[in-house]
Amino acid sequence: MRYFRNKSVFTDRSGYLFILPFYALFVYFLLIPIGEVIYYSFTDFNLFSERKLVGFHNFNLLLEDQVFLKAMRNTGVYFLFTLIPTMALGLLAAVLLNTTLFRTSWARALVFMPHIVSMVSVSMVWMWLYDPTYGLFNRVLSSLGFDTMHWLIDPKTAMPSVIVMSIWKGIGYNMIIFLAGLQGIPKDYYEAAEVDGASKIKQFLHITVPLLAPATFFLFVTGVINSFNVFEQINVMTSGGPVNSTTTMVHQIYLRAFTEFKMGYASAQSVTLLCGVVLITILNYRFGGSRKKYGED
Amino acid sequence: MKRLSYRKIALLAAIVLLSAIVAMPFVLMLLSSFKTMAEIQSPVFRILPNSFSFNNYIEAMNQGNWSRYFTNSLVITLITVSLGLITMSMAGYAFARLNFKGRDLLFFFSLIGLMIPEQVILVPVFIKIKQFPLFGGNDLWGTGGVGMLNSYLGLIIPQIAHPFGVFLFRQFFLQFPKALDEAAKIDGCSRLRALLRIYVPASLPVFATVALLKSIGSWNQYTWPLVITNDNSMRTVQLALSIFKTEYSVQWNYILPATTLIALPVLLLFFLLQKYYVRGIVTSGVKG
Repeated sequence: MRYFRNKSVFTDRSGYLFILPFYALFVYFLLIPIGEVIYYSFTDFNLFSERKLVGFHNFNLLLEDQVFLKAMRNTGVYFLFTLIPTMALGLLAAVLLNTTLFRTSWARALVFMPHIVSMVSVSMVWMWLYDPTYGLFNRVLSSLGFDTMHWLIDPKTAMPSVIVMSIWKGIGYNMIIFLAGLQGIPKDYYEAAEVDGASKIKQFLHITVPLLAPATFFLFVTGVINSFNVFEQINVMTSGGPVNSTTTMVHQIYLRAFTEFKMGYASAQSVTLLCGVVLITILNYRFGGSRKKYGED
Repeated sequence: MKRLSYRKIALLAAIVLLSAIVAMPFVLMLLSSFKTMAEIQSPVFRILPNSFSFNNYIEAMNQGNWSRYFTNSLVITLITVSLGLITMSMAGYAFARLNFKGRDLLFFFSLIGLMIPEQVILVPVFIKIKQFPLFGGNDLWGTGGVGMLNSYLGLIIPQIAHPFGVFLFRQFFLQFPKALDEAAKIDGCSRLRALLRIYVPASLPVFATVALLKSIGSWNQYTWPLVITNDNSMRTVQLALSIFKTEYSVQWNYILPATTLIALPVLLLFFLLQKYYVRGIVTSGVKG
């Protein structure tokens, strides 16, 4: 009891002053905007005339907006085909680079490089690799005697091309997180398993995978949020085309809000996106939460 | 013994292959940045350029106002990072070391911010900047002018503080022994003095980590500058890359050297301070 009383001697109101600059910025530029975007989604706000409440009008329009529905589908496709391969390849890279047989810091730095360089820069470089006539990929295809492809220009291959680039950019980050997880697993677990005669594959499945659960869970949750918000590589590489085959939800928000200034309508799209992100995050904690605890034991 | 060395060679080969595949686009970018347009378009593909001349670099930098673009990015990055370090270290210190009512509640509440993607609140933050009272011809109610659009203030202010940095500072400051605060208190050291004289000098690693993460993030950002600037003189380097790309033609012989120059500062920072960078993202991912 005395300990607690002692503690209160040090109660310090100046704490509020110390957090004030950060908290003011946080409330003004992060918290209030969440409320505002919800409010705007029920208005016909367009920057030029008085805004007035229009109820669910924007959301009704959304349901009939074929381009936005297409953007939702594209975002889903991007999410499904980017997240899992990126995590799998990141795990593979981490397992390879976790060796103590020789120094691997040079390889870690190389694999991590795409994460450091801006999305705009790597999109530009990959546009060049995908170029139908001067790009590396078509040069390799034609020198091997295959037909060349129209990568970013063909509606069928545009999204897969963007996805391959995005996987390449994400491997390094996933690798570093998995690597930190791997290094947290005590060596004796493997030694004990070795003594009991467990094969390398069994050791991987029964020691590595369960003990990596916290890292896997973290990468999955952040990966979901990132893939739902895919925008930069889309805007740089394809501008959503050809024929809307790569447009995504954030790309639609960008176009409606900042080329057509339909702020109310774009807010309704943002709210739809926010609901998607929140829903999936809650589901993750619901069904991933128990696995996380298992890993932390 | 022999079996082990075979395994070792196979593993080394796998690692070399992996690194080569991942690094390939950068190697090609660097080598081709010295190629003339004729070499880039030539039907025969050579990996090495005919000569390592910097002509492309000089010509690319003469298209548009690149000294201005680099200055813009540098100024924005330096100010964002400095103000970010000040505000976030103060908050992290208070959340870790000071006792005040509602401290932990306020801290965990701010972590909501980690879950909210920037893109979702793009519209309201844009409107806040456009309607910022008394700036850019605005009246007290934020109407009549352009606010902070097309200005350094608008590019910087919303980007200064993020709960993530506060989280990293708090984690670091929590490690110090409690006796330190009590000793400082007995010596009559104010809270601000304790932060500046005791904590900051002992916390260079966390300052390096946050500074590095924030510098790279700020230099690389694209969406926010894209949305709030349309004036050529306010472009950042990331936005300026698009001047080499029109609907009909792409000037690869300028894009590749410009991309190389833009990526160089962040890669240099990363290779010099790798330890701090990796520590930062690992703290968030594994302990967070």
